[in-house]
Amino acid sequence: MDLDNARELPRAGFNFDNCKRNATLLNRGFKPPITTKTGTTIVGIIYKDGVILGADTRATEGPIVSDKNCAKIHYLAKNIYCCGAGTAADTEMTTDLISSQLELHRLQTDREVRVVAANTMLKQMLFRYQGHISAALVLGGVDKTGPHIYSIHPHGSSDKLPYATMGSGSLAAMTVFESRWKPDLSEEEGKKLVRDADPTGVFNDLGSGSNIDLCVIRKGSVEYLRNYELANKKGKRQLDYRFKTGTSTVLHTNIKDLLVTERVQAVPMEIS
Amino acid sequence: MSILAYNGGCVVAMRGKDCVAIATDHRFGIQAQTISTDFKKVFHIGPRMFLGLTGLQTDILTVRDRLMFRKNLYETRENREMCPKPFSAMMSSFLYEHRFGPYFIEPVVAGLDPKTMEPFICNMDLIGCPNAPDDFVVAGTCAEQLYGMCETLWKPDLEPDQLFEVIAQSIVNAFDRDAMSGWGATVYIIEKDKITERTLKTRMD
Amino acid sequence: MQPDFDFTDTPVSTGTTIMAVEFDGGVVIGADSRTSSGAYVANRVTDKLTRITDKVYCCRSGSAADTQAIADIVAYSLNYHENQTNKDALVFEAASEFRNYCYSYRESLLAGIIVAGWDEQRGGQVYSIPLGGMLTRESCTIGGSGSSFIYGFVREHYRPNMALEDCVTFVKKAVQHAIYHDGSSGGVVRIGIITKDGIERRIFYNTESGASAVSSTPSFISSE
Repeated sequence: MDLDNARELPRAGFNFDNCKRNATLLNRGFKPPITTKTGTTIVGIIYKDGVILGADTRATEGPIVSDKNCAKIHYLAKNIYCCGAGTAADTEMTTDLISSQLELHRLQTDREVRVVAANTMLKQMLFRYQGHISAALVLGGVDKTGPHIYSIHPHGSSDKLPYATMGSGSLAAMTVFESRWKPDLSEEEGKKLVRDADPTGVFNDLGSGSNIDLCVIRKGSVEYLRNYELANKKGKRQLDYRFKTGTSTVLHTNIKDLLVTERVQAVPMEIS
Repeated sequence: MSILAYNGGCVVAMRGKDCVAIATDHRFGIQAQTISTDFKKVFHIGPRMFLGLTGLQTDILTVRDRLMFRKNLYETRENREMCPKPFSAMMSSFLYEHRFGPYFIEPVVAGLDPKTMEPFICNMDLIGCPNAPDDFVVAGTCAEQLYGMCETLWKPDLEPDQLFEVIAQSIVNAFDRDAMSGWGATVYIIEKDKITERTLKTRMD
Repeated sequence: MQPDFDFTDTPVSTGTTIMAVEFDGGVVIGADSRTSSGAYVANRVTDKLTRITDKVYCCRSGSAADTQAIADIVAYSLNYHENQTNKDALVFEAASEFRNYCYSYRESLLAGIIVAGWDEQRGGQVYSIPLGGMLTRESCTIGGSGSSFIYGFVREHYRPNMALEDCVTFVKKAVQHAIYHDGSSGGVVRIGIITKDGIERRIFYNTESGASAVSSTPSFISSE
């Protein structure tokens, strides 16, 4: 049953082989499948000593919550992180790709990479795909020129801002920043501001939910606070469902033993 | 109708204490018409690694073959067994290569790491967004029902026997409310020293 | 019905008011600071006066992604050109390069650009490149969605060869009128004065007193 054409070496870049077939299927009235989205609340601010990024942890597939605790703050470089909203696979792969390019850039120049470099790479890649890669990003980092926050839209435009929000909960989170952000916040004030802004998205936007991740980037150090706040704890179950062994009717069982048992036997050599 | 629901079927995988379980139904249909009842969507792809694929049947087979080719190439080149984690990463990039013309499948990987024997489960959407939680993963036409069943029945550190009951009850009761899946089910329990395959008695309608 | 989380499909555009005026010894350029994504203001402190070289700037209107991308390419290319020739680039060279991109990709781009600056050959110059990719030199030009509200104002009050400060007041008033009438223009009025010495930037806040509403480090509110 093996397909002959399976023996094909993977080529670099995207593969468009299925496009024609898929378009035909779609034309026959089949709905296109939905992809995992992070209808998200992601935020970033500049504070006195660096930047703070924040994100919720919900991934959705249509109305279904497909991941209750996913990590949306992606690593780009030692001093640069990036929050992603939009199609989950796109944000994941885009940030991974740029992260590897930044590392090569760092090795080639033997310098700490700058946040502008990350911004340029990301926006040029997104612009090249004309919005078909739906990644909405909040990029933040600290380099020798200071702290920087950029918000990058899926079509490839970017804005340099002191505070930014993205995703479906961005409007709710922005209201908090607009009323409370000020220059030179202390780290505690900054964390509190991000921690207050993100749950407004989590609680008021259906696309955002679960917990809050924070990432504090200072000059020379990074603190990734995964699940900084468990905004939504599942109620503790008092008793549990326990099935007696044999509840499910089994028609037949087949056990495959994985332990390799070998017996080595010495065979006396024939001497003639 | 979604193309992913053209042939029906479902897969679920769960993590237990030093073991993982993966279960599949047996139906292969064309929309409402059942063609066969012995199509298992779970493939044994390594000594302690299983791959479950739901969605369009033609793509299930193509993707299985393409992935096996890449996996074999890796094992030949590196002269070692492929662990579930790198396999998932490889599958993720394979699916993302087809970002703009995807295969209509939803994969599930379950296995034990050959070195550490750490349980691993993972699922993805059709363009390869990985999701590796520490409880359970589901895929297929009755994903909603499976989420509900697993969310109530699963608890941490289940022993292999209990894990079997939990996953068996989850899948059987989930696909009872799905016309596109069912017609028999198989559960695989993967442990350090053995793999137990059990065929369940289910409704055949 | 399924919940709609798709916020990624709305392109970001600078529904804008931009303008540029020549005066004896340079140019005055002005713009509002609003970037909108549908009805949402994605950035209220945008800097639409984008540096190409030290003495050539452009004012961007249309799709934010398209105009940023072209401006980046042209800035890169002119920087290379200046390094190769060891001379400042001419304003016309910049404008002509913008025209080439805007015309070649006129089917896929949404970009209305004003290029303005100063060079030794021809002094202060303003070039306008509207949607189709045409290039014209004008002594005073306006662009963006807000410009349609101020054609009358500009026609009434523009005089050739105004003094520098008169130019600044004229540009400021014109952009303020556009901000008032146009929903997709807003924020502050940014003004740049380009002469042989480079650019001088000014900001006019949209408050009663004319002062900034936020007490802030000037670095974020002023340019860059």
